[in-house]
Amino acid sequence: MTEAAVLDSEWFQTTDGEIAIVNLNSARLRSWSRFYQDPQRSGVAETVLEHEQLTAQFASELSALGRLEAFGEQLGRLDASSPRTMVIKAQIASALHRFSDARRYLAQASLGGAPPADVKRILLNVDQACGSHLEEVLDERRKIVAKSGRFEDRVALGALLADVGEFNEADETYRQALREYQDVSPFPVAWVCFQLGMLWGELVPEPQLPRAEHWYRKAIAGLPCYVRARVHLAEILSATGRTSEAEATLRPALASGDPEVSWRLADVLHAEGGVAEAASHLEAARSRFEALLDKHLLAFADHGAEFYIGSGSDPLRALELAQINLGNRPTLRAFEQTYTIALEAGETDAANEISAKATKRWGNVFSFQFSPFVQGSLGTGKGAAA
Amino acid sequence: MSDHIDGPRQIGDPSADLTDLFAFTSPENPSRTVLAANVFPTCGVDAIFSNAINHSIVVRRAKLAGVGDATKFETADPEIRFSCRFDGLERGAADGKPVQRGTCTMPDGQTLRFLVGDEKGASTPDGNFRVYAGMRSDPFILAWINEGGVMRKFQNLLFNDNVLSIVIEFDTARVLNPDRGSLFGVVAETLPIPRPGTFVGHPPPRMDWVGRPEQTNVRLNNSGLKGVDDLRDLWNQQTPFAIDEKLRPVFLQRLKDSLANYDMRDGKQDWTPSALAANANMFVDDFLLFDVAKPITDTSHLEIEKSTLNGKAYQTGGGRTVDADVIDVLFTWIVNRDREFLEGGTTKATKPGTKNFPYFATPNMDLQTVAETVDVTATPDKVWELIGQFGAAYWHPLIAAIRVTGTGPGQLRTIETVDGKQIIERLDAVDNSGRFYRYANVAGLPVANYTGMLSVKPNGTGSSVEWRAQFLPNGPGTLITKTIVSTLFKAGLDSLKSRF
Repeated sequence: MTEAAVLDSEWFQTTDGEIAIVNLNSARLRSWSRFYQDPQRSGVAETVLEHEQLTAQFASELSALGRLEAFGEQLGRLDASSPRTMVIKAQIASALHRFSDARRYLAQASLGGAPPADVKRILLNVDQACGSHLEEVLDERRKIVAKSGRFEDRVALGALLADVGEFNEADETYRQALREYQDVSPFPVAWVCFQLGMLWGELVPEPQLPRAEHWYRKAIAGLPCYVRARVHLAEILSATGRTSEAEATLRPALASGDPEVSWRLADVLHAEGGVAEAASHLEAARSRFEALLDKHLLAFADHGAEFYIGSGSDPLRALELAQINLGNRPTLRAFEQTYTIALEAGETDAANEISAKATKRWGNVFSFQFSPFVQGSLGTGKGAAA
Repeated sequence: MSDHIDGPRQIGDPSADLTDLFAFTSPENPSRTVLAANVFPTCGVDAIFSNAINHSIVVRRAKLAGVGDATKFETADPEIRFSCRFDGLERGAADGKPVQRGTCTMPDGQTLRFLVGDEKGASTPDGNFRVYAGMRSDPFILAWINEGGVMRKFQNLLFNDNVLSIVIEFDTARVLNPDRGSLFGVVAETLPIPRPGTFVGHPPPRMDWVGRPEQTNVRLNNSGLKGVDDLRDLWNQQTPFAIDEKLRPVFLQRLKDSLANYDMRDGKQDWTPSALAANANMFVDDFLLFDVAKPITDTSHLEIEKSTLNGKAYQTGGGRTVDADVIDVLFTWIVNRDREFLEGGTTKATKPGTKNFPYFATPNMDLQTVAETVDVTATPDKVWELIGQFGAAYWHPLIAAIRVTGTGPGQLRTIETVDGKQIIERLDAVDNSGRFYRYANVAGLPVANYTGMLSVKPNGTGSSVEWRAQFLPNGPGTLITKTIVSTLFKAGLDSLKSRF
């Protein structure tokens, strides 16, 4: 049996992506109404957070991040010092990649008596995102999965295994999550399929593009509005000469306003000879990236860096953004991105300095052997930032 | 709440989450019975049924097998099953707005196609069955909150919520054949649909099911019991009418512990140990009992079970009507064994049920928001000094006079506007250090459920003042009402510019 057949035979149908998005939006608006009516009622603020996070991730509505930020401010005004507010603000800060703020809120939540399990769960996410204490985080993630077996815990473990270079175990962990999934929401399934696409298309040392393509297609089949999956699939299609299919993949996502869609579409159109339209999309991408960076610098610094070292054609801006991202979350991938951008920008001294720091921090981990510091490879080679 | 969000797994797809089950005699035609199931709690105003779920209402013939402390209701095969599935969205012909259709399979094998949201519903050619599916006002009343195991009266926590309803009405004699026995047990369940052509090798895992109200959120998951596991997911995965015998003692013990805890919520023990055990034994067999030969009314819910446990013959058809105040009936029974009726903060749902098919009230509109802001150069403290007193809105150019009653939260302000209107508002919360207050409109604006908030926050070296309100238009149209509120806010905020 092929990988796809194995999975298909295990799956139940999931709710149509279009229905799921309509329902998410309907429930999201209702959760805001309930929040305004009685903001301190148990569970109400948490539901707003959950709905906005889902909207940002799966409906690719970038305005959800602004709403999350405003929500944190409103909650802070209503219930400034409560541990519950601190826990929610930590999750918002983490979603916006403001990891130092998230740690500060978590410390305050802890002092205020927030449930230790809640604090620990968010702290694990922050540590994982920042590449901090990864061995301890991995150990803890394995324990959590062994105890709970919950879908979201397996996916978090899979992502960490991928980060530390345990690619086959990451693949098995993701697929086990899929096999054991017994709900009908398309969001978790699309999420894991996207992660598997990233794993085989971007994280492994020698990308397996057909395998990645299969997973991205699965993600889009379940959730047609999944913009990130469309962008990554379009990259593969474009890289393998199927530009018209790449264009058809990206065009339905243009309405999202996501600058990566405009950027990748500009590249595809340029390759197809549509220079004027390509230039227009590229300008839209630049303008939207800058607007996002203005509002949520840390959340989009790595994406902006990819853009500017690519078609955005501003290596110094790329390096500036990559360094901001590296300062915020010094993961091996952030080091790799900054290093390759520094080289491409002709900033050899900076590249050497980054290489030395990366070797010092990450030289002893398994995945370092696949990094450009060891392989000596050039080019960002990572495609769209995740 | 009845079965609203009744387990961690339900957080996956909320449209699989069964909130309530109903069984009552048709208000339009006493020879017909209505069974209804609601899904998707707090679904908002645009929600749609999942096309990946099989929604079933399952009836079994029941019989009384013991009374008093030996109370037992047994159910028998075969089951009488109604199953509804929904399609993906279609583009509507007229305005392009998506439409959804569904199919209901009846116990006799007939299938009935219907359009979601069509209030006329659809009927089978023989007239035996009629089906409606669509969004309705949630009829559930939850007017209690639990504070550390202490019950406190509160407003209806589900006020203004909507749910997705499936309503099936049928000819009682032809479908249930009550000559063979008029007592029935009914459950509703949601199951995922296997992909076409796939062989799973085992029955699909049940996502949710519901029999009597509050089996999960009140009886099994009693927050008054400290340090106990949440059994709701395990319960939801049980097969209705056939609880796993190995797990039955676990659920039974939890019910005994939980009912004992409820018994002492008022500080008085009303249940003897043997009666409490009998009550738990009855509840572990979780199906909604109804007797089609007896009257099912707004007050007959649980009467079959209660009379039987009390060693008496039951007098009503039990069941559950749309307007039944089931939470108060339940609390009264388990807290004081019907010694004294326990009434929550309200006994009225957002909207009452109706006498005409589909019997559930039309959906509620969502709250409207008006938010206006102004930036001024003065410091936040300076601005708050002027506008931060709830009863001192003299700074507002449209306010001619203001009168205050009381102090602090609960304080009322009666405003006379320059055009002679009177508006009464109540302070709900104030935080002078955070520079905001929250209030409700009591009278004078064409709105319902109005919550307003005025706040000042730093903006560079100056301040930003925000005035925000949420409400339901109540009278003129939405646009007119929003304009009235918005004008009031803008006039006030604009006047601050000239003051600072």
